[in-house]
Amino acid sequence: MAALPKRIIKETERLAKEPVPGISAVPHEDNLRYFDVSIHGPQTSPYEGRDGTVKHTHVHLSNVHVGGIFKLELFLPDDYPMTPPKIRFLTKIYHPNIDKLGRICLDVLKSNWSPALQIRTILLSIQALLGAPNPDDPLAPDVAKRWKEDQEGAIATAKEWTRTHAMT
Amino acid sequence: MSFAESEGPPTKKRRFFTDKTDILDSSLGAEPSLPDEIDAFPTAAVVEPYEPNGFDLPNSGIIPGTGGPSNSEEPQLNDHIPGFDSETFESFVGDKVSPDALKQLREASGDNLEKAVNMYFDGSWKQNAAAVPVRSIGGGSAPKAMTINSFARSGTSGGHEANGTHEKAESPAIEVSLKDTMPEYRYVGAFGVGAWATRSGTTLLKHGESVRIERQKIQPPKAPVGKGKGRPAVTPLKPNSAAAKRVDVIVRFTNPNGEEVGRLPRETANWVSTLIDQKVCRFEGTCVYAPERVRTNDTIFLQLRCSLLRTAFDNRGFKPSENRKTGIFEEKESSEEKELRLRQVALVKLFEEVSLLPSKTSETTAKHKREGLLQAAEVAEQYENSKPKKSSSAENVGSSPSAEEAEDGKELEQDQLDTLYKKAQSFDFDAQAAEPAETFAMDLRHYQKQALHWMMSKEKDEKDESKEASMHPLWEEYAWPTRDMEDKDLPQFKDQANFYVNPYSGELSLKFPVQEQHCLGGILADEMGLGKTIEMMSLIHSHKSDVAMRLDGATPLPQSVNSLPRLPAASTNVERAPCTTLVVAPMSLLAQWQSEAENASKDGTLRSMVYYGNEKTANLQALCREANAASAPNVIITSYGVVLSEFNQVAARNGDRATHGGLFSLNYFRIILDEAHHIKNRMSKTAKACYELDAEHRWVLTGTPIVNRLEDLFSLVRFLRVEPWSNFSFWKTFITMPFESKDFMRALDVVQTVLEPLVLRRTKDMKTPTGEALVPLPPKSMDIVDIELSKPEREVYDHIFTRAKRTFTANVEAGTVLKAYTSIFAQILRLRQSCCHPILTRNQNLVADEEDAAELANTASGLADDMDLQSLIERFTAVTDDAADTNVFGAHVLAQIRDESDNECPICSEEPMIEQTVTGCWHSACKKCLLDYINHQTDKGELPRCISCREILNTHDIFEVVKDEGHPDTKWSLQRLGSNSSAKIGALMAHLKALRNEQAGTKSVVFSQFTSFLSLIEPALTRAAIPFLRLDGSMAQKARAAVLTEFAASKKGVVLLLSLRAGGVGLNLTMAKRVFMMDPWWSFAVEAQAIDRVHRMGQADEVKVYRFIVKESVEERMLKIQDRKKFIASSLGMMSDEEKKLQRIEDIKQLLS
Repeated sequence: MAALPKRIIKETERLAKEPVPGISAVPHEDNLRYFDVSIHGPQTSPYEGRDGTVKHTHVHLSNVHVGGIFKLELFLPDDYPMTPPKIRFLTKIYHPNIDKLGRICLDVLKSNWSPALQIRTILLSIQALLGAPNPDDPLAPDVAKRWKEDQEGAIATAKEWTRTHAMT
Repeated sequence: MSFAESEGPPTKKRRFFTDKTDILDSSLGAEPSLPDEIDAFPTAAVVEPYEPNGFDLPNSGIIPGTGGPSNSEEPQLNDHIPGFDSETFESFVGDKVSPDALKQLREASGDNLEKAVNMYFDGSWKQNAAAVPVRSIGGGSAPKAMTINSFARSGTSGGHEANGTHEKAESPAIEVSLKDTMPEYRYVGAFGVGAWATRSGTTLLKHGESVRIERQKIQPPKAPVGKGKGRPAVTPLKPNSAAAKRVDVIVRFTNPNGEEVGRLPRETANWVSTLIDQKVCRFEGTCVYAPERVRTNDTIFLQLRCSLLRTAFDNRGFKPSENRKTGIFEEKESSEEKELRLRQVALVKLFEEVSLLPSKTSETTAKHKREGLLQAAEVAEQYENSKPKKSSSAENVGSSPSAEEAEDGKELEQDQLDTLYKKAQSFDFDAQAAEPAETFAMDLRHYQKQALHWMMSKEKDEKDESKEASMHPLWEEYAWPTRDMEDKDLPQFKDQANFYVNPYSGELSLKFPVQEQHCLGGILADEMGLGKTIEMMSLIHSHKSDVAMRLDGATPLPQSVNSLPRLPAASTNVERAPCTTLVVAPMSLLAQWQSEAENASKDGTLRSMVYYGNEKTANLQALCREANAASAPNVIITSYGVVLSEFNQVAARNGDRATHGGLFSLNYFRIILDEAHHIKNRMSKTAKACYELDAEHRWVLTGTPIVNRLEDLFSLVRFLRVEPWSNFSFWKTFITMPFESKDFMRALDVVQTVLEPLVLRRTKDMKTPTGEALVPLPPKSMDIVDIELSKPEREVYDHIFTRAKRTFTANVEAGTVLKAYTSIFAQILRLRQSCCHPILTRNQNLVADEEDAAELANTASGLADDMDLQSLIERFTAVTDDAADTNVFGAHVLAQIRDESDNECPICSEEPMIEQTVTGCWHSACKKCLLDYINHQTDKGELPRCISCREILNTHDIFEVVKDEGHPDTKWSLQRLGSNSSAKIGALMAHLKALRNEQAGTKSVVFSQFTSFLSLIEPALTRAAIPFLRLDGSMAQKARAAVLTEFAASKKGVVLLLSLRAGGVGLNLTMAKRVFMMDPWWSFAVEAQAIDRVHRMGQADEVKVYRFIVKESVEERMLKIQDRKKFIASSLGMMSDEEKKLQRIEDIKQLLS
């Protein structure tokens, strides 16, 4: 593999030195373009992994997150940053913009990508997407449909899935 | 030896000659140079009584002033003063003669001095033979007479040859003593010949009878009547005659009764006639067999006994003044040359016939087969014959051989050149070294000290004592036969067992021909960059004339009477300039020479002066004459152009050098021709002008003593006045002819013998025995930078390419390639230009700096009318026109951009950004990143958007941030990207800016062959706030010097824009560390030379060279062509124009494939 571009090195270093709360991305030792990513479900979202009615207390104090933790894989293609990173949920998630295979529907990962975006910003966007599902632009049509028709049921399922898959 | 019986009565002739009124009336008798000749006789006072007769030379059939060596004999020939003065006689024979002998002689000769002298020498008086006058040849005074003659000649030709005679004056002493012991003729051998009868009769000739061999010359119509048949001895020997009557080779033989019996067969007569005519040989025949009744055309067998005449050994030594008798502004060569060649052939034939083999030859000569020599001479003859012969009757008029000169000399193949150079490069690393004088301010490397030692010994003419005097390589030694053909002992002479023959020239000598060079200078041919200039400067400091030494010794007393400047009024002639070295260099190097001269000298130890342009008003003669030596400039630097123009001025004044007061009015202590290949064409006016400069020491500096033909070297040798090589006929016989007859090795061997004592040449890649490089130069890297044309550029290129290809193919099919050559070539040129910048192809005013530029302007009009191309270029300019003034941006925008400038690039994370570039929405990134991204998006068919705000980008509105760091507060400005800039300029800018960031202050040189391209690079540099200077062929010398000085002095990272033409030669640009070659030339050699301006001695750092080559274009293919060795040769001018064209067409084929 060609030498790693400066940009990727810098991003990796920065992700390690100044981590974003609730997000971690660690490259594979044998392939520095391949990252193991984990994202904490955002607070007050169905993916936080708590009963929404329970008043939230600071969970980050101990730096141990007890809520839902979603695993993703991220790959930086050769022409990164001209093209966006390839990214996919490994943890099963019930979300109108994420399909069964974990693929994500997010504009910045597609048409709205800009080389000025980084791994960090992309992961924040994904985290934000968890907090604000957009059933109008669905990737998983059935989930989106239910979200629209029975939002509470859908959210309950999402919480259910989070507890089952993201909190083990 | 009894010619006289049948000859015209001598008395008659004598009467004619002594009749003074006749002389006065005779138009032939009047000779303008007579007074000179009288004056020129001071050493031969005894001869004076006979002077009046000497004037009668013309009447003996010899045209005055033709300068044949035989002239000198004539005074004696015509001596016929009643009475016999024994003193005179002795002075003639150069010996004491006993009174007895004298008496006998007088009796034998009938008191005829002339006869007596001759008889004395041929010994015939001893046998008391019939009182017959022998062939009237000169006695012992001949050598003296020769000196006199040449002296006289130099007197008439403006005195510029006066020096030549100094050298010569020394030699006669030995020669005379040698010749004293040499009889008038001496047997060398005999051979048989089947002659044919021209008449019938009985008992015309019997076995054993002696036969006289004689030549009969057709007398010129005007010749005085009464000379009878004209005896061989009287046969005019004006050099021209042999040429004029070359067809006449008839050699008759007569029986003892004086009746003509027949002639020698043609093939024998061919050379026998020459030997007789040129007084080399005499032949005595004996009839071996003749039929009793002879019928015309019968064969009569003769044995010919050949003897070499003493005259053959006289006079024919090296003839310094002969060689230079080219007068001041004129040339004549051909007749002499022909005589030489005839003699050469004849002698070789003679030795072949009498089976005389050399007893000693030099190694070099041994290699050269005799046959080869003859062959060469024959080739020469054919060569001569094939040329329309000019009228040779009046050789002073219009006999300049220029017509045939223009083309003579074949080119050397590269490998031959290599061989030659290899031979010339045998440099002895243990050679002695000399320390420069104290006034010399620089440190010399060891090999430079060796050069100094070599040059000083050349100038002082120090012989290498360790070496034995070796025979001149062109000569052969022959032993005189001790027995004749009948095995009888022959008389032997003391100290004369041998004689020497130069089979190349047909010269004979009794003296051991020592190889020596009287040239007090030479050729310093060190390869470029080894410091020839410095070596020369060290010589200027270290070897000075006696006058200069005296001046140095005496503490400066400027008030002393002697050192006061004198008035120039008294000057009438060329004066010595004992303290002055004249340097002639190409104009572009004048300033460099001056600065080197200053740098190399401790303060106040050297006065230099550039003699050029305005400074030319000085009267050099007044300035430099010996009387003013104390204040004379030590170094005068001038250009070839000045030499030529002053030469023309002097020529216009009929060679009056003195009153002109310029370069030609002085005899310098030393002349140095820099880049001396400028005079490689000996027929060029510049070369001729340089030959006429006078100096004690003559040097040429050149990295390429032979550019491509052997004649190149001749011109240098001619300038150096190396005898005998500076005689073109000599040169032609030994070098050109063998070479042209394909006997390369021999020609090159001879060249080597010429070069060896003259040339010092070292190359950069020479290694010392210990394996060190002669000059450790810092490394040099060479990178080819691939240039990708922008889309509009590519469209222009493709368009021209298609067009050129179409034209070419059409012409190939029609077979008119050569005819359309110019037009095709023009299109190729346009194509190459379009690789640099599309505008170049359009701009009629900015004509390419290319040989066919003039024609191109016309032929290119084909392209000019091309509307498609027009629109393509318009599209290009539309994209690039710098319509918007970048200063419309508000200060706040600039402030924001400035704040961001230290940030990292959002795309590549480079910090700070490389060539910060902003979008129309003022978002910054590296230039390359931004452009890459825009391309990436457009490639995908998307509209390019801003990286930051996703605003749709107008690709027109992309600006590069320019920081002008030259000012105390960095000035910021924006420059629209790609404005009027081509891909190549862009690449250049990127390199220069990167350089500025990494190593601020590094100087660079940018070469292009298109000066108009340089003009387009200029604004780009200005915008990028990169300081630059420019030097091209259109600039005056002063301006060039100023540019070079500024470039050297500047502390900033200045860029020097140089046209390949103007900057390729000689310049020293070692202050630069980067070289950018904007466009490839047909041969890399030319580019390499340009690169070597920077990567040469004095360069302290690594040099990086970048060659910009447009991908997938003619430029890429030109690189391939460069690889072809042959083409390198052609581009150096080794081919004729026609060959060049053919070669180029081949190249074009490849270019357009």
